[in-house]
Amino acid sequence: MRKAIKAAFFGLISMAFVGSAIAEITFVSWGGAYTASQQKAYIDTWSKGSGVTVENYNGGLGEIKAQVEAGNVTWDVVDVLPDQAITGCDEGLFAKVDQSSFIDDMVVPPVSECVVPQIFWAYTAFYDKAAFPGKKPKNIKDFFDVKKFPGKRGIHTWANALIEMALVADGVKASKVYEVMSTPEGIDRAFAKLDTIKDHVVFWSAGSKPLELVSSGEVVMSLAYNGRIGAAILSEGKNFEYIWDATVLEQEYLVAIKGGNEAEALEFMAHASTAQALADQAKYIPYGPMRKSSIGIIKKGEPWFIKEGGNIDILPHMPTAPKVLKRAVIADPEWWADNGAEIHERFGAWKGS
Amino acid sequence: MSQSQTSSGPILTTDGIPLKVSLKKAERINKIRAFLLVLPLLAFIVISFLVPIGDMLARSIDDRQINTVFPKTFEVYKKWDRQGLPSEEVYKTMFFELKNSEGYSVGKASTRMNYSKSGWKSLLKKSKRKFKKIEEGPFKDKMIAIDKKWGDPEYWLALGQMVDPTTMGYYLNAVDLKYDSSKNIVQQKENRRIYNKTWIKTFKVSVLVTLFCLLLGYPISYLLATLPMKYSNLLMICVLLPFWTSLLVRTVAWMVMLQQKGVFNNLMVMAGLIADENRWQLMYNQTAVVIVMTQILLPFMVLPLYSVMKTISPTYMRAALNLGASPLHAFYKIYMPNSIPGVSAGCLLVFILAIGYYITPELVGGKDGQMVGNWIAYHLKTTLNWGLCAALGAILLAVMTALYWAYNKIVGIENIKLG
Repeated sequence: MRKAIKAAFFGLISMAFVGSAIAEITFVSWGGAYTASQQKAYIDTWSKGSGVTVENYNGGLGEIKAQVEAGNVTWDVVDVLPDQAITGCDEGLFAKVDQSSFIDDMVVPPVSECVVPQIFWAYTAFYDKAAFPGKKPKNIKDFFDVKKFPGKRGIHTWANALIEMALVADGVKASKVYEVMSTPEGIDRAFAKLDTIKDHVVFWSAGSKPLELVSSGEVVMSLAYNGRIGAAILSEGKNFEYIWDATVLEQEYLVAIKGGNEAEALEFMAHASTAQALADQAKYIPYGPMRKSSIGIIKKGEPWFIKEGGNIDILPHMPTAPKVLKRAVIADPEWWADNGAEIHERFGAWKGS
Repeated sequence: MSQSQTSSGPILTTDGIPLKVSLKKAERINKIRAFLLVLPLLAFIVISFLVPIGDMLARSIDDRQINTVFPKTFEVYKKWDRQGLPSEEVYKTMFFELKNSEGYSVGKASTRMNYSKSGWKSLLKKSKRKFKKIEEGPFKDKMIAIDKKWGDPEYWLALGQMVDPTTMGYYLNAVDLKYDSSKNIVQQKENRRIYNKTWIKTFKVSVLVTLFCLLLGYPISYLLATLPMKYSNLLMICVLLPFWTSLLVRTVAWMVMLQQKGVFNNLMVMAGLIADENRWQLMYNQTAVVIVMTQILLPFMVLPLYSVMKTISPTYMRAALNLGASPLHAFYKIYMPNSIPGVSAGCLLVFILAIGYYITPELVGGKDGQMVGNWIAYHLKTTLNWGLCAALGAILLAVMTALYWAYNKIVGIENIKLG
């Protein structure tokens, strides 16, 4: 018996070693169609792709901070939002990156020294065409107008993008949103606008939820990540329609966790941020690459999006398409890094009251 | 027998040591052996339980971070009368401490400062970058020229809350209070008061869930304990099967059942009991949290109740009935008092589990079903305000301890029975 236990014990230990030899790095992202697109675009194509372990998380720096503080880093590369990219880099959770190879090719400058570019994604409103047989909602004002378009609205459980959209719906120009948000009256104004739909909202927190809510008729319109809407239209043939107004563009980056397998992580990140890799990702999900030259590759290759029975033009589904950009708000991560905590508490108070 | 008693003095063992000493020695060895046996367990409890709790309590009052980055600034800051703007000296010290700071200390300190006043974060970052080019004063004017926030007394006043290396600020924050610049305790701004409401909601939901669990669990347990074996086994499986099913699966199943276009509402509409446009809102609110949590926590009520009821001999009830008590009276006088240990164990268990619940309120709570656990998770993951998390957690712990204490006083902890 004792011998058996001993054998099992050593077996386990050696397995752990073998295991760590195979699993070169752990790549952590958001799951769903998004992670699937990353898998196909640059994990499978990496020479050491079989050594990448993929995990899902729900955002935030909590787990990363805990790992770094405890000195037990199990994540190597993480897909993060820009305000977290800023905070994590400032607090020394992420390794610094050599950005010379891509910095001139980016649509906007990188938010910190620790990131490599990924995509623009967007919060945008959408509806099921069947829900509005007559007049259809056209802009964000209609989303906030429950008299003109009665029915419930799906919104997310945090304040990002909602403040911006509420202000645009209240008549602020998209380009002036952060100017207004930097005054206390501006924030009051946004919350006053949110008050007008408060009794008509259903909250979601997982990215797949708004699609379910709209499909099942639980709500008539919802905000969602544009990529999820696009994937539902393109791959599942859903009858959804975007409301490309006051679309809030957010950036997405990859970072390497300090104290993890940094050398491999940085090598992987270099591979995952080439213009080709970002363009390839758009074959599977309609997010906008952050590198200018990726757009060129896609334009030349259209129809780019891979679908059974014939590929589809992807540029019209991207949040970086010129007609969308004209009416969009580019989210300001600096503003949110500064004011996020306060706004979220206030938003929590608003939700609960 | 009498021979051994002849010599006076202490009783000796065969090797001449007094029996008392020898016994003590043997006992000590036994004690050490026993201690060594429990040592791994003790070490486990200390490492996995006491140390983290201690660490949490320490975090909830720790405010050293910023003091280690700006020690001199705080020294001169203390002399400031908090009127208008601070003197050139304060600006100068701040300037050099920020300029000469190394590594990630400023990043961490600015996160902390941002809790007191939004905007510190970008202010410090931007200033540190621009300070590199400045060599000499006047620092006050130059700093204000870099960013007008340096000329806003609000920012300087916010520093006053962080002067001491320990703070009760996180606890105050957790009950919607805060320090003003001279460390007086004042109410939080009205539109940021969320925690008191959340505390009340958390208790309300926990009490309701406990109550419903008791109401539903008591008859089930009674049946389980009194039915013949072949039926009670089947019933037991009905109780345990959902208990073994994943929490997420059960929660999502309830979402399908209760949403507005869900099974329950569809049935009600089909039966003509409610109008199609007037479907009940049973999901994404507090009602949903109470319903789903009751179902999820029910086994924690049933199992202790059952194990206690199983030990109540049916002869007691028969005797009472035999002596002329009505069934109701017999139940009230005989069965119920005997089942109290199970009731209290179940209630305590369910309440303690309910009060810290996180995932169910997160999924089905919608806008008004969020509990304290959800705010802890939010600050833990998103704002990284772990001090506030620790304070919220410590208050939860204190409430639980107080409940346990009160329970011990009223019912007596020796009356608790889990089986």
